[in-house]
Amino acid sequence: MDTQKDGYETTEKGLGSLLEARFMSRRDFLKLSGISVIALTALNPFIARGGAGPLIIMEQAKGLVISEPTRCVGCRRCELACTEYNDGKAKPSIARIKVGRNMNFGPKGLYASQNGQGNWGNGLIIQDLCKQCPHPVPCADACPNDAIVVSPPTNARVVDKEKCIGCKMCQKACPWEMMVFDSDNNKATKCFLCKGSPKCVEACPAGALSYVNWVDLTREVPPRIAQVVVTSPEKGSSCNTCHKKR
Amino acid sequence: MKKYGGWAGKVLRVNLSDRKISIEDTIEKYRDFLGGTGIGYKVFWDEVLPGTKPFDPENKIVFAVGPLAGTGAPCNGRTAITTLWPTCWPKALIGTGHMGGNFAAELKYAGYDAIIIEGKANKPVWISIVDEKVTINDAGHIWGQGIRRTTIELSRILGSEASVAAIGQAGENLVPMSVVMNSYSHSAGGVGAVMGSKNLKAIAVRGTGGISIAGNREEWERLIKYHLSLLGANNQHVVPNSPQPWAEFYDPASRWLASKGRAWGASSPVIETGPCDPRDLNRIAYRTNNAAFYLGEIAWKYTVRGSGCTGCPIRCHTMIKIPSAAAKYGIPEIGMNTCGGLNFGRSFFRNFPDGMRGLTNVEACMVGMHMADDYGIWCNYGQLQRDFQKLYYEGIIKNKLGEKEFKSYSWDKYEKGDPSFLFELLPRIAFKEGELGTALGLGTGAHLERWGLSESEWKKDPKLNYWKMGHPKHHSNEEVGQCGVIINTQYNRDAQCHSHTNFVRNGLPLEVQKRLAEEIWGTPDAVDGVGAYTPMNVGKARMAKWSLLRKELHDSLSLCNWMGPWVASPLKNRNYRGDDTIESMLYTLATGDRKSREELDLIAERIFLLHRAITIRDMNTKEMRKEHDTIPDWVFYDPQKRPVYTKGTIHLDPKDMELAMDMFYQEMGWDRTTGAPTYETYRKVGLEEVAKELKKRGLLP
Repeated sequence: MDTQKDGYETTEKGLGSLLEARFMSRRDFLKLSGISVIALTALNPFIARGGAGPLIIMEQAKGLVISEPTRCVGCRRCELACTEYNDGKAKPSIARIKVGRNMNFGPKGLYASQNGQGNWGNGLIIQDLCKQCPHPVPCADACPNDAIVVSPPTNARVVDKEKCIGCKMCQKACPWEMMVFDSDNNKATKCFLCKGSPKCVEACPAGALSYVNWVDLTREVPPRIAQVVVTSPEKGSSCNTCHKKR
Repeated sequence: MKKYGGWAGKVLRVNLSDRKISIEDTIEKYRDFLGGTGIGYKVFWDEVLPGTKPFDPENKIVFAVGPLAGTGAPCNGRTAITTLWPTCWPKALIGTGHMGGNFAAELKYAGYDAIIIEGKANKPVWISIVDEKVTINDAGHIWGQGIRRTTIELSRILGSEASVAAIGQAGENLVPMSVVMNSYSHSAGGVGAVMGSKNLKAIAVRGTGGISIAGNREEWERLIKYHLSLLGANNQHVVPNSPQPWAEFYDPASRWLASKGRAWGASSPVIETGPCDPRDLNRIAYRTNNAAFYLGEIAWKYTVRGSGCTGCPIRCHTMIKIPSAAAKYGIPEIGMNTCGGLNFGRSFFRNFPDGMRGLTNVEACMVGMHMADDYGIWCNYGQLQRDFQKLYYEGIIKNKLGEKEFKSYSWDKYEKGDPSFLFELLPRIAFKEGELGTALGLGTGAHLERWGLSESEWKKDPKLNYWKMGHPKHHSNEEVGQCGVIINTQYNRDAQCHSHTNFVRNGLPLEVQKRLAEEIWGTPDAVDGVGAYTPMNVGKARMAKWSLLRKELHDSLSLCNWMGPWVASPLKNRNYRGDDTIESMLYTLATGDRKSREELDLIAERIFLLHRAITIRDMNTKEMRKEHDTIPDWVFYDPQKRPVYTKGTIHLDPKDMELAMDMFYQEMGWDRTTGAPTYETYRKVGLEEVAKELKKRGLLP
């Protein structure tokens, strides 16, 4: 494990602990690189199928689960449907939708005091969901084994269990903490949109979840954690081919 | 050994005296008793000697859930807590309390089906359970604090996803009328002071593991959706309370309140419930609004949303937001609860300045909820408030209190219906201050004894709802005639059984109910219209047996008996049939242990009989019919002196009730003279060892 880690360059962006600042930096990056991204999309077939180069996800996802927090009643049937119908076990800690962690005190936890959300605050329960990120896909780019791949027909970003080595690098890379790790099989997992009919959406007794055409929420939803960006040298250099400074 | 799904597989045993923490194998030791109350009764039969008192270190507390807790089976959120019941009078006997919330699921995810608490800590402690890591910790910093603060402080240590079951000051001060509470609003009465007597402030649980479902996952998904399709609103009411486009019937008494035009008015922005067609499984959470059910139309505009247990689509707790209560009384503007907890504050009062359906009524609820749920005071299914009203308005409080103490209360405020009166009363109950506070905290039985009042007077008053042994009726002849009465004779506290009332109150017309009754209990005569009773028949005895067994089955599997059974449904295309085999299908698929409905009912009977056996052993008499299964006089009395079975009356005929008990004992295979189960009956349900022990003690008929 250690040697493997040493083989990759770990670049933490030095933005201190201010989540907002870090979030902004991602947005700024996206804005600045807009033109390059389009250019890279054109090269996509080569990169995705070439086999020689590292996997860089360029295809947009086609669908997305979105939520309406004011409708959430905190029953967690979405989390249970996600894991029971997909994994054959009731295990909210690996659910790819997250309600429990915001249910009591809101996303800021106990430290929001009287201004908090959730059952102990103003009642609002935020459902955390995978954004099915556009390029650059943080979890996929962080994976040293290219185990996070695009899966048709939804183009969801999914974990290939065969390839996943359980290193948890993807967990650190997702600003929204949507990568989960199943201790039963030592594999990461994430929202894979249930082939286009998400179980969580079907299961919600309050109609608080919807499956919609993909929209970019990475600019809308504030991150939960300071993202640790990890990129292999191969991926780093392939970034450079498109994102060269002019 | 075979690997089962459903169960977490471990039972945690914590001895507070010697601080020993040990693990038992659930399957090996308790599988024949499923979980929940089954495990509770098994522990008490095996380990707690007759003569033990509630606050003795030798008493135990068993927090137990079943194989369905924490799964996606609908309505699985309740934790059963078994102990010697401190408000059971004149002698404390075994009882169970049940709390919803997130505790049951979290306990399972941490890897446990039950926690057995024994002994007594030498100083205040709390128990921390984080997956396999279990520790007993000093509670010095939270002892003396309310439940709310305790939860916050312990959540800081275990994380905001933890579930904390804590007692308040009432429990610490050994007030028998006290609760243990988790998840903001979910309590179990009677248990608080037993925890307090062990110096146990709280149990905090955080679990990250999972529960495996043994069966095929597609089959499990289909079964869950099928079960969901049979659900009604809270208490399994299957018709709406007002005409809806999808509904053939409606019943104004139904808890299915959703309708076009009704909305969660304090949600931002407002959310309309809509008509909630039963075929739309994404609207189940909007059907119930128990704040509006209890407080009237006024509650809609204050409703933020529904709330409730983990895994339950029926949101029987309602979150309400009352800024005026916050401004006037300095309490949080948001609160939530259901039934007894919601009504706690207002039930003390006979009048409010703006009437019984106005804003003051709602504000009294808010004050009561925030105080009672923090101090951890129990209402004993409203008996506390009914007693209080009677004692005050009949001048008994004035007689029993010294002048100084009497004048220390603002009785003018009380009579006017000023909720601020609760700030004078409730702390004195929690802290045992003064004669009134102390007496009210004892529970009805010991309170009457302390004040030299006669229990038989209480048994005569039809407005008091008092039944026996310090406890009130819980769905009796006001709804289910003889069947309800039989059920209310069986426990050592209020019966807490809903199997029967959930059927007769489901809102379907009597002819539909009778058709379903014939399928379930073999005769349409098993059910009467509410308040239109007919003489006893064997169908009613069968219904009583079925109701009691399903209650214990639910309390052991961890299905909510406030919602089940599901033998009627809102579905016209099924002729309003539910499914009497839901429990066995869920159990079989979750655990991988194939059991038919009949086989599960046999286990339920084993569990129910073990409760009976412990009660007989601890009372040291087999004369249950005479000394335990008693019926209060008000059941046989009509204030307007109308004949029995007159439409609109709920009173019954004493001779007919004797026949009813005969028939019930016969259905159960119990001796009719004594009401005690026979050797053969114990043997048939797998309790031959229990029968042998009772025989040795001369407690078999």
